[in-house]
Amino acid sequence: MTVPSDPKYLCVVREVTAKMWQMHGLGEEMAEQIRLAVDEACANVIKYAYGGKADKRIVVRYKVDRERFEVVIEDTGIKADPGAIMGRKLEEVRPGGLGVHLIKRCFDVFEFDGRKKIGNRLRLVRFLKERNEDRDNGT
Amino acid sequence: MKIEITEHRGVKVFGLSGDIDMYSSPELRKELLSLVGKKAPMLLIDFREVSYIDSSGIATLVEGLRGMMSHGGKLKLLGIPERIVEIFSFSKLDKVFDICGTLDDAFKG
Repeated sequence: MTVPSDPKYLCVVREVTAKMWQMHGLGEEMAEQIRLAVDEACANVIKYAYGGKADKRIVVRYKVDRERFEVVIEDTGIKADPGAIMGRKLEEVRPGGLGVHLIKRCFDVFEFDGRKKIGNRLRLVRFLKERNEDRDNGT
Repeated sequence: MKIEITEHRGVKVFGLSGDIDMYSSPELRKELLSLVGKKAPMLLIDFREVSYIDSSGIATLVEGLRGMMSHGGKLKLLGIPERIVEIFSFSKLDKVFDICGTLDDAFKG
């Protein structure tokens, strides 16, 4: 899916993400957190990679199999510095710095593909171990 | 997102509905900080019709809270739906904000 880097399209990303999660029979409760996490990741692209410019493009890809739910988010903006991405301490009450926590709490893998020459390719993976255990146990 | 400002027992009630995200939170920020600047002793934000909130919406609320606290005022959040209350507890903001179940609860204490 390709969407413009305009915040008004974030609702589209949210809906598609939640549907992708739900249509593979994954938990309804977790759908909210996954939807929020991918929204936050795309909002970061708009804010940091594109500096708020609304006329760029964000590519969001989904890959789902028995083991994982994977979302890859690509842009052609300013390169992120993975070492500098850290949220605020949750105990500190101040605006900002919450988004990265919301992403990392539900994805096991949060990594930038260093091979991408222009822009960023963020790979988010949630392993579906618990789901498989439930299925194997017949629950 | 829609914003409707009403009054209940002399207190401004900031009624929100729909999604609060990066697209809509600048409007929320503008309206909220404008009311906060009037230095009322209390402001209520009604969440009963809110379907979604992201970190930009949360950041706006924190700004509003700080603004109210700067003049000794109170900012209370009313009727946060179950599907979004989780983000408040995750970010530990349920300990900071005064969260009320009903309009009447907001006027107790």
